[in-house]
Amino acid sequence: MQFDLIVLIVGFFFGFYMAWNIGANDVANSMATAVGAKAITLRQAVIIAGVLNLVGATFIGSHVTNTIRKGIVSAEVLADPHLALIGSLSALLAAALWVSFATWKSLPVSTTHSIVGAMVGFGIMGGGFNMVRWGKLLAVVASWIISPVFALVIAFVMFKIIVKSILEQPDPFERAFKGAPFFIGITVFVAVLSLFLKTPLGKKIGIETAGAIPIALFSAVVLGLVGTRLVKWAVTPRLRDVEEIFRKIQIGTSCYVALSQGANDVANAIGPLAVIYFLVKTGTVGEQVPVPVFLLAFGGVGIVCGIAMAGSRVMETLGKKITTLSNTRGFSVDFAAATTVLTASKLGLPVSTTHAAVGGVLGVGLARGIAAVNFRIILQITWYWILTVPASAITSMILFKILHRIL
Amino acid sequence: MRIPFLSIFITSPFEGLMEHAERVKECAWVFQQAMECYVAEKCVRFEAFRTEVDKLEHEADAVKRRIRGHLPKGTLLAVDKFQLFRYLREQDSVLDSVQDALDWLSYRPIGGIPKPLEKDVLLLVDSVIEPIEVLSQMVMEAKRYFESFSEKQRVVVKNIIRELRRFEHESDQYEEAIKKKVFAGEFDPVAVFHMIRLAEIIGAIADHAENAGDMMRAMVAK
Repeated sequence: MQFDLIVLIVGFFFGFYMAWNIGANDVANSMATAVGAKAITLRQAVIIAGVLNLVGATFIGSHVTNTIRKGIVSAEVLADPHLALIGSLSALLAAALWVSFATWKSLPVSTTHSIVGAMVGFGIMGGGFNMVRWGKLLAVVASWIISPVFALVIAFVMFKIIVKSILEQPDPFERAFKGAPFFIGITVFVAVLSLFLKTPLGKKIGIETAGAIPIALFSAVVLGLVGTRLVKWAVTPRLRDVEEIFRKIQIGTSCYVALSQGANDVANAIGPLAVIYFLVKTGTVGEQVPVPVFLLAFGGVGIVCGIAMAGSRVMETLGKKITTLSNTRGFSVDFAAATTVLTASKLGLPVSTTHAAVGGVLGVGLARGIAAVNFRIILQITWYWILTVPASAITSMILFKILHRIL
Repeated sequence: MRIPFLSIFITSPFEGLMEHAERVKECAWVFQQAMECYVAEKCVRFEAFRTEVDKLEHEADAVKRRIRGHLPKGTLLAVDKFQLFRYLREQDSVLDSVQDALDWLSYRPIGGIPKPLEKDVLLLVDSVIEPIEVLSQMVMEAKRYFESFSEKQRVVVKNIIRELRRFEHESDQYEEAIKKKVFAGEFDPVAVFHMIRLAEIIGAIADHAENAGDMMRAMVAK
């Protein structure tokens, strides 16, 4: 079993590399609004992102993973264990390489879409074009349009609500306190709902949509009131600064983003690794494989390393550059991104937080909330979103060929 | 290290406007000194002040070009882009008029301002300095408004604009007084032409400041 062991070790390396990339690229992007709006310091961002990603990955991350992310490729392709090993390995490396390239070229791409593209490449090489479920791929295409547009609309509306109901009022500070239970409540509602529905937590404890909504509503009311008290306690009344109130609320949204990101994205790195691990251990795989906790923790550690080694630098630069993003804006973006990701994944669309965040920023820009936003960049960015799938697919195909030759 | 997310954000044009307004303000002070020097006996530093104004104008021009050049097509601003450019043009015209006034004065190095008119000219000069000084304050307050969207802040900006209008009205009256005096007195025709033109150029400074205020009013309109 010398060969299997080597593949497993290499698989661990690649999985770690992929997790590292998630930490360096994805996490930094989603924490950027909070750091940019000075809701949290860089050090706090690294600690929050690190701890909560690790917790999210290890404890909420799915213990059962679909062997093929998002069911994009028919599981028949895994019938030959040897090919499945090589395929998973090349998909993992291809996705990681593409994300690294994107980070280097300063492009906000999605790690989820990278792994999806890499899996398509593996499917085509492993079993031909009819292995790919093109209908599922269509959902990926739809997400390129839906997630930014949806986030744009929500961020626009959210920011307009804040402007009309708080900022433009005679005493914005008082109004902000009056509105705080609503804003905290609605955020908690989305957060709790997505914890149950989007992350694997709901399945673990057996709560589905019907059960989740009352729980989310209840926690929204309770936490909305408790949160308002907390904010009242934390805010310096002397300053009468509306932004400060939203700064405190944003701490909560950042925590949620970090937690859910750890829970969801760890599978991008660990899913293929789990397949390799399972194959080496048992010799076969089906549609799903169990994921041992230590693998999830391993992925979490990889993400944390990515955050600490590269993500912190990304966030530091962002914090210095995005000074135009104040807390009311940052909150609108965070809320829009979280809601979009929840709704879209409920619809079965593989959306990325990064895409949603980009849409959110543009939405606040459209509401004239940001001094200057480059709207045209969206065209350029969309190109790279589109490019992600074929690029990682082709890389994965080439790697598959090479690895097939060697192994 | 390049950051993916960052390319969406563009530096706020208000930073540039502030910087430009600061240059204009510095220029106003130099202009005041230059005028006082010119009126005083044995002025030796007039040319030095004029060079200083030229230098500041040059710097302000660079700031202006930077603002215009760094807003690519498809940029979404908190204000209308063309209103912003027109505002910038008016603020820049303030500087141009200051420069014009000193240039015009330099064509008659000695005795360009007849003794009986000295006081009136200095009054006119003082009356155009205030509106210039207010410009940078207005930009700062407007920047704050676009950050906070607070009605209180909007009123602050609107009050400054009202003040600008009042300043312009005052300087108009000083300008008129000079013109009346020039035609009433017994000056040689060259002096008359020189003085009338000078009064108009200096008066234009306040006009441009007021126009800048009007553009700002359009920007902060709901």
